[in-house]
Amino acid sequence: MTASSPPVLLEEPPALPEDSGPGLLRRYLTRPPVIAALVVIGVLVIMAVIAPWVLHSPTALDVPDRFAPPSGAHPFGTDELGRDLLSRVAYAGRLSLGIAFGATVFAMVLGTVWGMAAAARGGWVDEVLMRIAEAGMAIPIILFALVFVAAFGADLVAMTLITGFLMSFLTARIARSAVLSELKSEYVHGLTAVGVPRMRILFGEVLPNTLPSLLAQSSLNLATSVMLEATLSFVGLGVQPPAASWGTMLQNGYSHLYESIWYPLMPALVIVLAIAALNTLGSELQVVLHRSAS
Amino acid sequence: MVGYLLRRLGASVLMIVLVSMLIFVVLRLLPGDPTITRFGQQEGIDPRTIAAMRAQLGLNDPIIVQYWHWVTGIVVHGDLGRSYFSQFAVGTLIAQRLGPTLELSVAGLFLAVVFAVVLAVLPTILRGRWWSRLVGTYTTIGLSAPPFVFGIVFVALFSVKLGWLPDRGYVSPSADLGGNLRLLVLPAVTLGLALSAPLIRYLRASLADVETSSFVRTATGKGITRSSVVFGHVLPNGLLPALTSLGVSVGAVLGGAVVVEYVFAWPGLGSLIVDSVFKRDYAVLQSTVLLLATVFVLVNLLVDILYGVLDPRLRVSGDRR
Repeated sequence: MTASSPPVLLEEPPALPEDSGPGLLRRYLTRPPVIAALVVIGVLVIMAVIAPWVLHSPTALDVPDRFAPPSGAHPFGTDELGRDLLSRVAYAGRLSLGIAFGATVFAMVLGTVWGMAAAARGGWVDEVLMRIAEAGMAIPIILFALVFVAAFGADLVAMTLITGFLMSFLTARIARSAVLSELKSEYVHGLTAVGVPRMRILFGEVLPNTLPSLLAQSSLNLATSVMLEATLSFVGLGVQPPAASWGTMLQNGYSHLYESIWYPLMPALVIVLAIAALNTLGSELQVVLHRSAS
Repeated sequence: MVGYLLRRLGASVLMIVLVSMLIFVVLRLLPGDPTITRFGQQEGIDPRTIAAMRAQLGLNDPIIVQYWHWVTGIVVHGDLGRSYFSQFAVGTLIAQRLGPTLELSVAGLFLAVVFAVVLAVLPTILRGRWWSRLVGTYTTIGLSAPPFVFGIVFVALFSVKLGWLPDRGYVSPSADLGGNLRLLVLPAVTLGLALSAPLIRYLRASLADVETSSFVRTATGKGITRSSVVFGHVLPNGLLPALTSLGVSVGAVLGGAVVVEYVFAWPGLGSLIVDSVFKRDYAVLQSTVLLLATVFVLVNLLVDILYGVLDPRLRVSGDRR
């Protein structure tokens, strides 16, 4: 791609203000879908943090009022013990979003090191590392997730690491191609020519420049981990009761579907919203980056 | 062409071998003992019995030897192993579940293609902004909802609220075809909708590409009707590249079916996998997952080859990614 791009004319002023950091960020943050997605994520995160102080207590029982449909007092209705669903969904976000965040950080670190090692070393190291990553992506992620859960169990740490590890394959591939395209650029040749150590070029110059595309991938990774947590917990192989996540709420709600159809629908709605928002943040960033690159 | 075929075939075989290693190694990383699965949590089992059992199952061999036995068992004897839990041959267990999974997957994939083609083509024909937005929103939701979430919504609506369709279960088509089809509707539509979203996105991108190409401009310019342009020029050229995404969809159908089967108590391979995870029945788990992985890799190989046949340029460059 870089090889075929036309040479920059000297008369043309470099398009720095538009294409670099602040301009790019402004263009990203002013896109309507991005704003909407940020609002959704913001609300979910804030609710998860402040739920116990502002909303009903997520553990306050009100048995006579169980399986209540949405109302003024309980905007999302109540569950099988009369607990407020809105506050439970908000509270469950702590686990769901927490696992997703941990997994994404793990995937980002592992994937970046993995991809960078492959790109920087090249040759057979690259070949082996990327074949492994491809094997990891060769089958649907849920299948591997089930195999890993069977082996390592489903406590919170294991789930976070498993999810992170499974996403690191794709992250490694993204990191590799981002690093490779940076390594081909003029400034790397320049720095190499003046004798800057390769490690310093890689970590001091190349890595910061690949961050935007890695961030875009991380946002998509967050969405994937929310989906994976919900899926595993829904089939009973993820977060274990009494701990509550969006997935376990979905599972509980589904088993009480005949008492209250709102019970499973509310966590379902929140899961879809969260994933849609995170996907939007990631793909919009990719769009902006792609435009500024071309 | 032969070189291209061999390269793709080699890559696929390598992929399956790597996946099988990954599955096998992961399931044996922990010191957990599958004999516990066999004996349950019973007290007072003679350690010698356990030792004998371990020896019989070959669990004392080095992991490479165990892997070799597993693989040669499958490849040479077609023997997928024996369930640690029920003692049934894994092949038998899989055979029992294959029919329902195939039925659901084929129905789901068929509906996905129908939904996708209709929804991707509609905005192209009607050329309305709102149609385009509507389909775009649908795609975003479809890509964001875990497949089974559709299933929950459908059960809530069509079974609980309206009472039109049964909520879950399975009867074999040979016993009661009508009942089988009624039970198939919700899971198949669930799977179809979930799979249609990525297909639509791919199709629309490819249609938009063709839409702006010069031959479509020429066709429009010579004054033929819009529908002739769409059906004669845009669709035939736009649908072909979407073939690749169909290969990916087969993978998604296998992954999606796992949980969709669980939602609808559909006794397929997906439920078999979930069951075997619960029981820590590694023998069943590893072979079933490997089977699905192999199907997925082979389907992608098939799509690649088909693509190579249809588009000669790829045979030369070898790799389209």
